This record gives sequence, structure tokens and C-alpha cells, in this order.
Amino acid sequence: MAAALVLTLTVAACGTNEGGPGTTAVPPPTDGAASPAMTGAAPTGDAVPTGDAPATGDTSSPGGDVSGTLTVWAMGNEGVLLGTLADEFMNQNPDVQVNVTPVAWDQAVAKLQTAIAGNATPDVSQMGSDMMGQFAATGAFEPVPSSIDPGAYFEGAWNTNVIDGVAMGVPWYVETRLLYYRTDIAEEAGITTPPTTWDELKAMAQAMQAEGGSRYGISLGTKNWQEYFPFLWSNGGDVVDESGTFTLNSPEAVEALTFYNSFFEEGLTPTSVPEGFDITPAFVSGDYPMFFSGPWHLGLIETAGGPDFADKWAIAPMPQQDSATSFVGGANVVVYKNSQNKDAAWAFVEFLSDPATQALWYDTATVLPAVQAGWEDPALADDSNLAVFGEQLNDAKAPPAAATWSQLGSAINDTLEQMTVGSTEPQAAADQMQQQAESIGLD
Amino acid sequence: MAAPPLVRRGVGKQAVSVGPRHSWRQDLTGWAFAAPFVILFGIFMAFPIIAAFVLSFTSFGLRDLQSPLGTSFIGLDNYAALFSDAKFWSSLGNTVYFVVVGVPLTLIIGLAIATALSRGITRFRTAFRVGYYLPVITSIVAIAVVWRFLLNPDSGLINMGLAAIGFDGPAWLANPTLAMPSIIAMAVWRNVGFAMVVFVAGLQAIPGVLYEAAAIDGAGRWQTFRNVTLPLLRPTILFMLVITTIGYLQLFEEPFVMTGGGPLNATLSVTMYMYEQGFEFFRQGYASAIAYVLFVIVAIVAFLQFKFLRSDT
Repeated sequence: MAAALVLTLTVAACGTNEGGPGTTAVPPPTDGAASPAMTGAAPTGDAVPTGDAPATGDTSSPGGDVSGTLTVWAMGNEGVLLGTLADEFMNQNPDVQVNVTPVAWDQAVAKLQTAIAGNATPDVSQMGSDMMGQFAATGAFEPVPSSIDPGAYFEGAWNTNVIDGVAMGVPWYVETRLLYYRTDIAEEAGITTPPTTWDELKAMAQAMQAEGGSRYGISLGTKNWQEYFPFLWSNGGDVVDESGTFTLNSPEAVEALTFYNSFFEEGLTPTSVPEGFDITPAFVSGDYPMFFSGPWHLGLIETAGGPDFADKWAIAPMPQQDSATSFVGGANVVVYKNSQNKDAAWAFVEFLSDPATQALWYDTATVLPAVQAGWEDPALADDSNLAVFGEQLNDAKAPPAAATWSQLGSAINDTLEQMTVGSTEPQAAADQMQQQAESIGLD
Repeated sequence: MAAPPLVRRGVGKQAVSVGPRHSWRQDLTGWAFAAPFVILFGIFMAFPIIAAFVLSFTSFGLRDLQSPLGTSFIGLDNYAALFSDAKFWSSLGNTVYFVVVGVPLTLIIGLAIATALSRGITRFRTAFRVGYYLPVITSIVAIAVVWRFLLNPDSGLINMGLAAIGFDGPAWLANPTLAMPSIIAMAVWRNVGFAMVVFVAGLQAIPGVLYEAAAIDGAGRWQTFRNVTLPLLRPTILFMLVITTIGYLQLFEEPFVMTGGGPLNATLSVTMYMYEQGFEFFRQGYASAIAYVLFVIVAIVAFLQFKFLRSDT
């Protein structure tokens, strides 16, 4: 089960590579391998909980019954598998015909831009959570109606949809990051519990490298805001404050950068990795005994490590400083202004958000529910590793859904690299981030 | 004016009235034959070139996607911003570095191989020519991927070779100082074949009697090369210089596939920066300004090369 989980999550995950903010567009190489595994792992027939599902039909349709045709675009593996949910929706709403169009991740941005420019948008589409800001700026999205309750979703995931105080989309599924570590190497170094604070994280990395026999203590990205921000947030800092002013050079930010940079300065993590570096085998070999990643790595490690490896690793929540905040990514669904059938479109979105559908979607595509009630499904609740992710989602944030996010993320990554690889000091790096962010702005 | 022959063929009044119609029909035929090119050129070249020029004076971005005509004209603001954009200057510096080192290397090595193959090496000449030319016709992306393997610091062939003779090879593409030289090495290796083929053709056009005369005058190999080959090859060298410089100024695929512009933006070229602004950030107005600045640079460089190297004799 977990093997399939991982492969799909790799595809589904928003922004998993080190490159930067345009990350949703890059499907990992496991894509091809995932599809056959998934088809086998997701037998549509018996996965549909026909018993609970009809409940959705009653609550979802704002105007009672909906009809007509809906065109839905979904990316990557979700696009391939969404038909399962569409069939279920059509069972409940026999007057609606849902047409699902799968779009490859690496073409998604261009295809959406073209569709918006040409007024040829679908009724509903998936939207990577880090793409929300820039696409909402085109004005192509329809605001979310008040019938949808924000409280049902994880707060961090909901906030990726809020642009200028207005929700323009609804979370569909989520991912968050936490710590993967080698229990056997930790024991070798005399450590038996996962790190709960920053100091313990640092001490553990040092011990694993010095006494555990690892080449490095941890793997951190040289230019990846997705790995830096959890430290910023956990230290009480943030990207912007309440009034929308950037706070990237606050004392908390400088402290977080200093802590992040110390891993590079002390040689606990390398300043460069070979082209095509893959953390999974490097973790299994013991070269890198710790790293931060999302749920897709559960299965990748299981596959790469084999059965003998199962008792040699574990996952743990973010270590705490002021808080223990992680990054939340994933995908949202949006309805387009040009849709001719908005009632049915919102009915479909509400259907996707229904806890029963969310659980069904976990069974189908093995991505984590964005709706809190979806986690009550036994498949999720009984898996101890997944439960850790579920717990972490309660303390997970995303950067502001700014129209300029791809630009901001890229500038922050450039500066991070100047600090981790180059010789820029944390204070200077923080000032540079702040100055560049101010000149780029949020919209 | 095209009419006279037609008029003469006709008789009297009739011919006069037929003349213009024939001319019109002839025009139409001409345009019909030219149409495929004219239409394609108009749609895919002329229109985008003009549109990009107009765009470069606007702030065209995501917000204008739905109503492109509503974009705001901001005069020379894009160009002014570009002037104080440190990342643009560093990308321009990287591109100039690539051109200044890469172009002479490509030409000199290409010429050396061409000379060797046309005068020295006679056995397996065809095999050598094919061998040197093969990289030119191979997909640049495939080449870049293979070179990435070769340059891998842990498992790459190059560092394994260095290790065998006792050297600890560096992380070629991950080192800000070595990344650009690595990319230059690959580009030169790939493009030397084309230079070679052009130079071989140029060398073959030089009359053999000149070499005989030089030999009779007692000229050595180097003197012959300097005083016979080089001057007569001048138009060919100029052509290769201009073509290679223009191509190298548009450096894109090599760093795009191999380094993504890194590390520390050491291999970020102007074209890559333009791509980032235009298609990742969707700042198409700004990206168009970058494109036009690059265009002007290319035009100036080509003009200067022609001016100083054209042989007047």
C-alpha cells in the first residue's frame, strides 16, 4: 500500500525539487513507474464506499439539483485518476456529464495561461497551491461562495486560496514536511529519541556525523525556501506581517538563517550535490541520516530499503523552537468566471471536499485529505506514520498567495544560495531578501 | 514594364487590353508561389518581432492575460529597470565570458582540425570528418545529459580518469568557478565539427599553385599557413566568426539542461534570464525589453566584426 502511496505522492506533490518556486511543473522521474502500480493499487470498484457517499449529493447541490456538462482539468496522476470521482459524482447527479481532461504537470502553466488568454478555460481545474497567487491575478477565478465552510479544512491549506482576503479556491489535498531520520545510526551515536528542539536537531546531526559513521549529519537544500521557511516560522518569524509588510530581515529571520547556515558552515550538510542527486538512496546508504520531506518519501524509502530496512528509520514532527511549524503544499480546485455552469461546478467542488470523497480520493490517488474530517477514515487513522503527518498539518503554513510568488521565491532562493554556498552573512542575506522582496512586491 | 514581350506577341489593340491582365495574373502567380513563406514569415516572425517591440514598452503581465489591449504603456521604464538590474548584468557578463572564450576556441580548434585533415592526415579522413561532425547533428539535450554524466563528481568518467592518475577531481558543474568553463568545453566540443566542415570547404577553394609557389620560394609550414592560407581564408573566417558569435550570444540549452543557470547564477545567460522573466514570472514586457537589448548587442557585434575584418582586396 505504502509503496503505491509514495509513488503517487511524488507526482502529486507540489514543489518537491530543489530548483525553486516553479516546482509544481516538474514531475519526478518516478512518474512512469507510478502509473502501472497505481492502476493495480486503486481498484475503483471496491474502493467506492457506496454506503456513505450518497450523503454528499444532498449537501453539495446549492440549488437542489444540478445538470449540464462540466469540463474539469486535473494535472499529472490526479488527471488520470479523477475519473473515479467524476463517475461517483455522476452517479449522485445523473443530469451532469463530467468530462475530465488530464494535463501533464510540465505543461500545466502554459496550458492554463493559454486557456485564460483565449477565454477557453474549463469549468473547474486543479491548481497547485503555489500557483494560486499568480493565476488568481489574471482574474479568471470565481470567488468561493459562502456555502463552503473554511473551518472544515486545515488552516494552512485554506490560506493558500485567500487572495486579498477573498477565497478564490478550495483545498483539495495536502502535503506537509517533517523529519526522516535513521534510528540505527542515531543509536550508534547514543541517541534514542527523535529531536524535539532545534538544539537537539543540531546535536543529533553532529553526533550522527561524528559517532554514527555518516558522511553528513543531515541534508538541507542550498536554495530552497520550502526548507528554510519552516525554520523562519518556527522561530516566530514570517514572510509578511498582518499588514502585508515584508518581515524577511526581522531578528527572528536572521536567527533562523544563522541556524540554517550553521549546518553548511559546520560541514553537516554539503554545499553542493552531484547533478541528479537523489536523497532516497543516500538515506538508505547512511550517507545522509536525516532530511526533511513530505509523505511521498514513506513509500520511496520502503521500496528502496526493502524489508530489512524497515526498523532502521522513523519520522518525527518538526523540532520546536518557538513553535514547530512546517510547510504545507498540495493542490486546490478553482472554478472559472467563464464557466457556463457554475452551480454544477461548485457542486462538484463541494463533492470533492466531502469527507467521504476525500477518503475515497486517498484510496484512489493516495494523497492526503485537506479536510480534517477526512482523516477519520480508518485507512489514514490507523497508519502511525500518516498520523504524524496528520498531526503536523495542524501546525503548517504556506507563504502568502502573492501574484508575484514565483518571482519572490526565486529571489529568496538566489539569496539563500549566496549564503549557504557563497560567503554572504545571514544578516546581509536577510537584508537582501527584504530589499528584493520589497522591490518585487506582493502583486 | 514586364509587359513588352507579351505585347509583342499579341496583335494590335487586343494585345494592349490583354497586357495588364497578364501582368496582374503573373503577379498573382508570383505571390501564390511566395505565399507559403510570406504567410509563415508574417505570422511566426514579423508579427512576433513587432509585437515584442511594442510589448517592451508595456508592463504586460499576468493581469493583462484576459484583455491584452488593456495593458499600460510605461515608456522606457523596462529598459531603465534593466539597466539597474544586477541579475541582468551578471547574466550578460556570463554570456560575454562564454562568447569571448568559446568563439576563439571553436574557430581555432575547428581550423586546426580542418588543416590537419586536408593536408596532414589522409588515412581515415572521412571517418575523422564524420566523427567530428557527429556532435553537430546530435540533439543538444542528449549531449548535455551525457556530459552531465561525464562531469558527475562521484561517478563521472572524467573524475574517475583523474582519480586513476592520482588527482581528486572537482565538482565541475557545482563549482561556481568551474561551471562555465565546463559548459564552454562542451559547447566547443559540439560546435567544432561545423567550423571544421566550413573551413575544409574554404581550404579546398585555395588554388594548389599558391602552395607550390610558396614551397618554391622556400616558405616553411608556418609561413605558408600565415601568408597563404590565412589571408585567402579570411572571408570564411569572417563568416564563421559572425555565425558563431551570434549563436553563442544566444546561449540557452547548455546551461538550461546542465546547471539550470547555477551555481550562484554563474551560468545564467541572457536568454535564460529572458526565459525566466517571460515564462516563469510572466513579465512579458520586461522579457521583451531583454530580448531587444540582446538583439541590439548582437547587431552591434556583427557590424563591428564585418567592419574590421572584411577583406577589401
